[in-house]
Amino acid sequence: MSDIIKPASIILLVIVVASLPFLQDSVNDEAAKFVSDSESSHDGLPTEWEDRQVICIFFPESNPHPEFSTGVTMIDPDGETIGVNDALNSTGACVGGFEGYEHGMDFMMDATRVAGGLLSVGYTMDPNWGPFVHTIGGLNVNEVQGDFNGAYWSLSHNGEYSMVGIGDLTMSQGDVISWDIATW
Amino acid sequence: MIDAHAVVLSPIEALFLNLSLLCIVAWPMWIAGKSLRPGNDLAMLALLALFATSGRILLDPLPNIQPVTVVVLLVGIHYGASRSVAFASVVAISSNLVLGHGIWTLYQALAWSLVGITGSLLSGMFLNGTAISIRRVGAVAFVAGFAFDWVVSISALHSIPLESFPVYLMVGLPFDLVHATGNLVFAAWLSGPLSEIMTRNSPQSRAVVEPVKTVS
Repeated sequence: MSDIIKPASIILLVIVVASLPFLQDSVNDEAAKFVSDSESSHDGLPTEWEDRQVICIFFPESNPHPEFSTGVTMIDPDGETIGVNDALNSTGACVGGFEGYEHGMDFMMDATRVAGGLLSVGYTMDPNWGPFVHTIGGLNVNEVQGDFNGAYWSLSHNGEYSMVGIGDLTMSQGDVISWDIATW
Repeated sequence: MIDAHAVVLSPIEALFLNLSLLCIVAWPMWIAGKSLRPGNDLAMLALLALFATSGRILLDPLPNIQPVTVVVLLVGIHYGASRSVAFASVVAISSNLVLGHGIWTLYQALAWSLVGITGSLLSGMFLNGTAISIRRVGAVAFVAGFAFDWVVSISALHSIPLESFPVYLMVGLPFDLVHATGNLVFAAWLSGPLSEIMTRNSPQSRAVVEPVKTVS
């Protein structure tokens, strides 16, 4: 009887690992429903971006972006600078006014490309965990040094810590995703 | 000018390399474990810690599949709570030297310790004399996969608010399921042979074996 367990457990494991991408997609879609469409995530952004998709990149005080070092620069889908908001208490850039994106990674790559290389994204592909973003706008996490063990680019979805990585993030209309440096 | 270290392996090739390495590590350990003088429980613990650590590191290409949870459970069953706590912590720290050390190491050590303590508290349920019930070890190891992951997930509360915690756990469920199923495989294949050499190298067997030797 116990000898059946050996082959059966391996077959079960193969089935579970093979269906992992499907299971992940299912729970990620489910998790996306819990991301509140809070209006406040658009606070400080141009009013014409209301109901449009936006990505913001915030840089730490220790490592400001050479171009976006004062206030937060607002860039439209054509790459035109709409304005700079100095009241957001951080520095960086937002690219917004997009519609119709469902996959977080697609949106991030397309939107950051609009800034013409100033916000280019560097990432490595992990076979299990998907894309791991290590560089945005020339700032590699390894360059962020201080009184902590390490730093990483941390993803927020509508103002809240994202439960899933950018590769698994499902977007809906009016979503704001933002990246800033967090430490551990 | 040939640099062998520059060979780039695909993920599948890396996995096969690691599986071969694991076999190379495990086979002599298995021989060494079998040929230990009976009652050598501390040497057995050291061998098991090396096996669990290298197993966890080498199986890293596979998502959440590693032998540590099952081995800690078996250590709890055979060697008791305090040794399993020490064992769990050493394996967590030493494998994280390679996989990455941080606040989560504490939670991993804590969670594996809880698995070991559970094993020691329920050891009567698993052992019938010296024979181990593979099905019961498998069942508890399966549940332990989920329980371990949830305890480690508590470390996320350092960076996410409490109200997001249920969603965080939900997103992790597929990976918990892989851990649990992997545990079932390790329980099915390892608990019989490991249990046999651990029984021979338990403190109890030393108490029985050594007086017999002095008499002869």
